Amino acid sequence: REWALSDTDISSERQSLMDGEGDSFTSRDGGSSNSMLAICDPTRLAHRFVVLLLMCFLGFGSYFCYDNPAALQTQIKQDMELNTSQFMQLYAWYSWPNVVLCFLGGFLLDRVFGIRLGTVIFSILVCVGQVIFAAGALFNAFWLMVFGRFVFGIGGESLAVAQNTYAVNWFKGRGLNLVFGLQLSMARLGSTVNMNVMGLVYHRIWDWRGSTGYSTLGVVLMIASATCVFSLACAVILGYLDKRAERLLNKEEGKTGEVIKLSDVKDFPPSLWLIFIICVGYYVAVFPFIGLGQVFFIEKFNFSPAEASAINSVVYIISAPASPILGFMVDKTGKNILWVVMAVVVTLASHMMLAFTFWNPWIAMSLLGVSYSLLACALWPMVAYVVPEHQLGTAYGFMQSIQNLGLALISMAAGGILDSRGYLFLEVFFCAFVCLALVAVVVLYFLNLIRGKGENWNVIILEPFNSHFLF
Amino acid sequence: MATAASLLLSLFIWPLLTRPAFAFLDRGDTYRRKVSLELNPGLNSSHTAPLGVINLLHVRATGNNDTLHFIFCSQGAPAVLLVHTNSSSSSLKVDWLKFLSGNLSGSLKIEPENSVHYSSALVFTRLWEYDDVNDTADPTHLPPSSFFPPYELQNFTWEDLNRTLNYTTHTAQLCGKGPTESFHNGSFCLGFSAFESEGRGPTWPRLLHNANASQVRFWLKGVTGRSGFSRFVLELQHIDSKELSSQVETLRSIDDEYTPSIFQVSQWVFSPINSTSPILGYVQWKPVAYRTESPVLNDATPCRHSHLMPMDQLPASDLVLAYFGDGYSAHGLNVTFSIAGDPFYNATDYLSWTVLVGLGSPPTESFSALVIGIMALGLGIPLVLILLGGVFVCVRKQRSVPQGYEPIN
Repeated sequence: REWALSDTDISSERQSLMDGEGDSFTSRDGGSSNSMLAICDPTRLAHRFVVLLLMCFLGFGSYFCYDNPAALQTQIKQDMELNTSQFMQLYAWYSWPNVVLCFLGGFLLDRVFGIRLGTVIFSILVCVGQVIFAAGALFNAFWLMVFGRFVFGIGGESLAVAQNTYAVNWFKGRGLNLVFGLQLSMARLGSTVNMNVMGLVYHRIWDWRGSTGYSTLGVVLMIASATCVFSLACAVILGYLDKRAERLLNKEEGKTGEVIKLSDVKDFPPSLWLIFIICVGYYVAVFPFIGLGQVFFIEKFNFSPAEASAINSVVYIISAPASPILGFMVDKTGKNILWVVMAVVVTLASHMMLAFTFWNPWIAMSLLGVSYSLLACALWPMVAYVVPEHQLGTAYGFMQSIQNLGLALISMAAGGILDSRGYLFLEVFFCAFVCLALVAVVVLYFLNLIRGKGENWNVIILEPFNSHFLF
Repeated sequence: MATAASLLLSLFIWPLLTRPAFAFLDRGDTYRRKVSLELNPGLNSSHTAPLGVINLLHVRATGNNDTLHFIFCSQGAPAVLLVHTNSSSSSLKVDWLKFLSGNLSGSLKIEPENSVHYSSALVFTRLWEYDDVNDTADPTHLPPSSFFPPYELQNFTWEDLNRTLNYTTHTAQLCGKGPTESFHNGSFCLGFSAFESEGRGPTWPRLLHNANASQVRFWLKGVTGRSGFSRFVLELQHIDSKELSSQVETLRSIDDEYTPSIFQVSQWVFSPINSTSPILGYVQWKPVAYRTESPVLNDATPCRHSHLMPMDQLPASDLVLAYFGDGYSAHGLNVTFSIAGDPFYNATDYLSWTVLVGLGSPPTESFSALVIGIMALGLGIPLVLILLGGVFVCVRKQRSVPQGYEPIN
């Protein structure tokens, strides 16, 4: 996760290093004044490194399993005998619970469960959801698969909130940017591995069992759920270590700090609504496209399934290193709105390339990856500039809520369009949404210019971003 | 400054990306023909009919100063004969006595003979069936033992075309059964359509046709496969003048609106051997076949074609032997349905494929109005906004008076 720090924050960070690494009272090699091993001492780097590892792997299972349908599109459609519209329901039902849950995530973690128990509960939901999804395939019950995705969705997004809260709690003032970057990289590593590996796993299981069909699919999805079990184990260990650190260091349990007041919605300025439109218009042209991407590349560009999966994962591969770098660049130049314009235009160009030409799709997908990262770095911080701090939680919650609503609706629409009118029309449909985002950002630009706020958006963000759909 | 930059960027991207797509913006062919149908012209009860019905459909498509004749006949192997004359009053003359007695040569003529500009025929000769136990869908690499004895279409018994002939929509449906048990509950059908103007078929693959084209739709319905792993190959032969060269090419097409997920079109074109001359005739199809009558996307199955094979003699179609003399040769093509991994024929007991036979250059696909409209709006609205906004901002800058010194009061 990316957040920008102002100069005042950096100086306050240095102060909070007092009780951190390089203390005067403990020597570097675990000396006599402290009886614990470095790796067991919550104040020492070695221990925090272990905690960092656990935090990164917390989200791995969720990101790995989110895109299982995309990696196994042909197999799922064939084994469960689905058309594309039904197939896309597997994505839509991930997003439906999050239309509401975006507002509740912070509340549940702060007031109801606490961060530790909450993380474990959401991890369990992710695990259980994926198992139900696999069971649906084993028993040839599509409704059960959809229900599994629904449960998976409840856990997945909220887990991202928890992961962030842990990061802030352990690493605020001690390289939080780096931690967010690493978490992001691990998450996208999970997505990439999924895209490239699941097809091969299916093939192996098919060879081993000697038959194809829904039971083979079920076995493959069960294997994928092993990553969720692994993430659950990390959640439990992390909870234990956090509790131990709280006891040893007299720290407070982490809080998300999100305050949601739905009545604030009426105070949202027009710029914020435009930002919402950009967000929805943009993301509905990226995630459903990746969901359907593999077969598109096979059919239109005659790629092999392995190659098509690889190119489908390019967006995620690029996003991992590009996001921190682009975030830094956007921070330094401050002209968020122009970066958003550029990101939207480049994405539009990329979709038009895929729709109207046979040019090598690696070019278009790489452009899509870079512009997707750029947009995330430039757009989300803008929210903090247009609403006052006490409404920030509500604004972000609302933004994620309508983002999920858009994704749920457009996922299903995309499936239906593909079934009846083919890939060209689907790409034109996505282009239309990117154009909508472009209209919104152009209007926002001129609105901003006319109001005389200038082009400088030096943004001070104190709010980490909590969503699967950001980076 | 930034406005100018973004304006420049968008103006640059637009032509770069749409140039390849401009080929698809051509809004088409407005040429019309007047189409009239007649069945068995000149046949009366004095001619003794052999076993079975006589199905000779003559379609006359008259243009401004030329005529296109399509003759569709099921005698022998079913065939579509295309004759183009440069007179608007040319007609078909059939010598039924000779035609029905088996003395075919010269029994079918288009008169006046010196007005004939181009003639060719497409014949459906055989239907091959093979046992694809290993699911490779690659008959060229299978041993001959995998192939069942082919169905020779010249030995099929056909139904009366009169019952399915539709004079208003200019369509006819020819269904026949083979001599074996497999056809007990099923049939091999060919649906012929002629057109007065540009349009598109109603069912997938919704091929784009114009007034110079006719469409033949082939389907197998209810025929039982001779094994649980049966797949089919259709053998076609095309007859044209020895002075023409024929070649088959598969072109890429970015528009799959009417055949979702199919981005290619195959065409078999005939042009004079001097390669700069225009194409005289064509057979065009999309390399896709459908496994159900009202197909959805999952029912599409790709098909492939083989290389052209020159044939030693003309095929056993009465129409072809009656019309063509020396100076004409035949080339054969095999169309293989399905690819490895696709369900076998017995999953649905249905297979359909459509082909266009016509004069001149094959029709090229174009975008639908909806696609063009959406892109125009989608790209146009932001451009207009940028322009208007830019103008507005410039005007405002001009109007604001420089502050200068304020009076000290």
